[in-house]
Amino acid sequence: MLLSYLKIAWKVLQRRKFFTFISLFGISFTLMILLVVYAMVDYTVGPQMPEKRLDRLLFTSEMVIQGHDTENMSSPSYSFLEHYIRPMRTPEKISISTGQGSTVAYVGNQKLKLDQKYTDAEFWQVLDFDFVEGRPYNGAEVRAAAHVAVLNESSARNYFGTARGIIGRTIVTDEIRYRVVGMVRDVPATRRFTYAEVWMPITTSTVNIHDPEYMGWCQAILLARTAAEVPAMQREFAQAVARAPLPTATYKWCQEMRLYAGSLLATTVRHERREDGPSDGVARLGGLLAGLTLLFLLLPALNLVNINVSRIFDRSSEIGVRKAFGATSGTLIGQFLVENIFLTLLGGALGLGLAAGALHLLNGSGLIAYTQFGLNGRVFGVGLAGVFGFGLLSGVYPAYKMSKLSAVQALKGATNK
Amino acid sequence: MIRHLFTLIWNRRRANFLLIAEIFLAFVVLFVVGSLLVYNQQNYRTPPGFAYEQVWCISLDPGALPRAGQLATVRQVMSRLRALPEVVAVGRTSSNTPFSGSTNGSTVGIGMERKNSIESVSGHLVEDDLREVLQLPVVAGRWFDKRDDGATLRPAVISRDLGERLFPRQSALGQTIGRNGEELRVVGLIEQFRADDPLSESRPAILLRVSPQDTAWDEASAMLLRVRPGAGAALERRMTTEIMAIAKGWNVGITALPEQRAAQLKRALTPLVALGLVCVFLIVNVAMGLFGVLWQTINQRRAEIGLRRAMGASAGAISGQVVGEILVVTTFGLALGLLVAAQFPLLGVLNVRPAVYTQAMLLATGLVYVLTTLCALYPSRLAAAIHPAVALREE
Repeated sequence: MLLSYLKIAWKVLQRRKFFTFISLFGISFTLMILLVVYAMVDYTVGPQMPEKRLDRLLFTSEMVIQGHDTENMSSPSYSFLEHYIRPMRTPEKISISTGQGSTVAYVGNQKLKLDQKYTDAEFWQVLDFDFVEGRPYNGAEVRAAAHVAVLNESSARNYFGTARGIIGRTIVTDEIRYRVVGMVRDVPATRRFTYAEVWMPITTSTVNIHDPEYMGWCQAILLARTAAEVPAMQREFAQAVARAPLPTATYKWCQEMRLYAGSLLATTVRHERREDGPSDGVARLGGLLAGLTLLFLLLPALNLVNINVSRIFDRSSEIGVRKAFGATSGTLIGQFLVENIFLTLLGGALGLGLAAGALHLLNGSGLIAYTQFGLNGRVFGVGLAGVFGFGLLSGVYPAYKMSKLSAVQALKGATNK
Repeated sequence: MIRHLFTLIWNRRRANFLLIAEIFLAFVVLFVVGSLLVYNQQNYRTPPGFAYEQVWCISLDPGALPRAGQLATVRQVMSRLRALPEVVAVGRTSSNTPFSGSTNGSTVGIGMERKNSIESVSGHLVEDDLREVLQLPVVAGRWFDKRDDGATLRPAVISRDLGERLFPRQSALGQTIGRNGEELRVVGLIEQFRADDPLSESRPAILLRVSPQDTAWDEASAMLLRVRPGAGAALERRMTTEIMAIAKGWNVGITALPEQRAAQLKRALTPLVALGLVCVFLIVNVAMGLFGVLWQTINQRRAEIGLRRAMGASAGAISGQVVGEILVVTTFGLALGLLVAAQFPLLGVLNVRPAVYTQAMLLATGLVYVLTTLCALYPSRLAAAIHPAVALREE
């Protein structure tokens, strides 16, 4: 039964090539755009290297110091995180690192600007970097403020001219000599908490552990023992923040201090939307995006509906015969939906190929440093769901119209809509 | 004739509903994207008000080093830089340097009570030498100089639009204005000073003088310098080494303003280009769909057209009818679309100047008409070529 429907659908597709082309063009490009956008989101907040154990990780947001009519917003300082967050008990490990900075190295007269991050030793245990060569720096080296560094592959190639056997060699950044102990695979610049081109021990930076200032340029990443312990960790984090005394010495007007720990998605949305309250804004942004996507889908769907409606009347005699032989409206609607979903699936397969090509172009353009966007299982799943949604959205109305044709009129070839 | 067409379409409004909805949506998409493009293009064409081509920015960050002696170090660095033959002029300014992405917005009003106050004025602290670095044209009054050293009120140079909005119908020169609880004396006017990214809306600006007597260093922590044409990486490297030799342990960043501007432009343009591409796809999609539907309709109406031809209608009249019909359908869709578009300036949805909406409406209306006409041309010729004898025999 299904097979014969598919056969009919295939024959119909071949009958008028131009219409088939319009339909496939619309479906495949719509799906391509959806997939590219989703792949970019997934590569920004999905579980990718180096944040592979995303379900067990929490990230700190920006700190808000609130007064009656003044509000300061900035990352927390190293000393604040070290004194109030480091002693937490629920997390298996806590890593404190700086936000992204930059440092300058020279290759001959050529300037090489490197994005840089200072981290502790736990940074390498909480996250899963792909080490190509060497090892991360350890706790002893961090405590001793050893001048050691981990480089990414591209920077190693740019600085040393080769990406092999660079362990133990020296890199001079900002006129300070560092010994390279490890080299990792490039981290996409979209990973806000972990991306850098060179990582160095936080003790070699100028951050001061005894500084009473709460605001600074650091962040903490917390790893729970199991995914189930994450809510408990979040509660303990809130208590730890509440226990810290208000910084009234520096900010005399301060009445409240806020700092949150959330998933990568929540913290990223909070940062982008500049949300400073208890709500991270994910639900609101999600609603907004869903609405926009629906609006975006509406135009190609309407177009497909229009095409489908006018194609149905090509087939009025076929429908008339089937009705005369006793096919119910339900059967006809079912047949038409199957045909339409078959068409959208074909377009979907094309769209998947187009999306792979577009992402390849995007990777090659160097728009976002070190991104290797690709299609993975999650992206594919979203694509498939999108295709079915689109097929139903654009198929229901024409199928309904088709089933309404009366057998007698259809056989006569009447075309009044 | 036109009234007749409207009646025809109105009678078949149920059948044409989908087409009207599609044209309506296409118009809304074109209108929204058009508003954004027109807005950004107008901003891009507004000149910055200063010359940035041969200007470099140096940021110095002492990190956690002791505060005492920081200013002395910076002065030493500056005199060393001035001694370089490739450097024309050096001046300090606040960290919100042009195209750096760091911005300032403060409220400026008349006097301390801040009457007639204007929000979001871009404030910059500058040294006297900065005029030479940025080649700022003063349009009225004068630039900062030695006369300001003993002034009781801090002198300020403001952009012309700020002067006009603060003091309509009188000169702003010599007036007292207030900003952040400080009283300032206006000594000069410049055309404008656009330090924000090249696609953002032009804002009024105020420049405040950093006098040689000021001892605080952090309020003007960045340095701008004008270099001779042709200066490049070699000079940059030499500067870094020389600065590091004086300011030991400081973090030094040197960037050329044109580079920063290009990077900012790229960042601002990327989402617009993506939006533009999606819009082009949607419009191509609509155009092809429209074309297909019209073509199909002509095939279904062969009998009617054949009859009209047999009754003596010319080929021109037939194709005119087909194009006319689709234009009427378009007008229905546009009327709905304009109703929605009119809400945008009323509700301030896109946060752009109201004049932009009007231009975008005209643009979108024109584009939709052109698009539908183009889509109807081929089907209309097809209809005109129908031979009455053949068409009527089919029936």
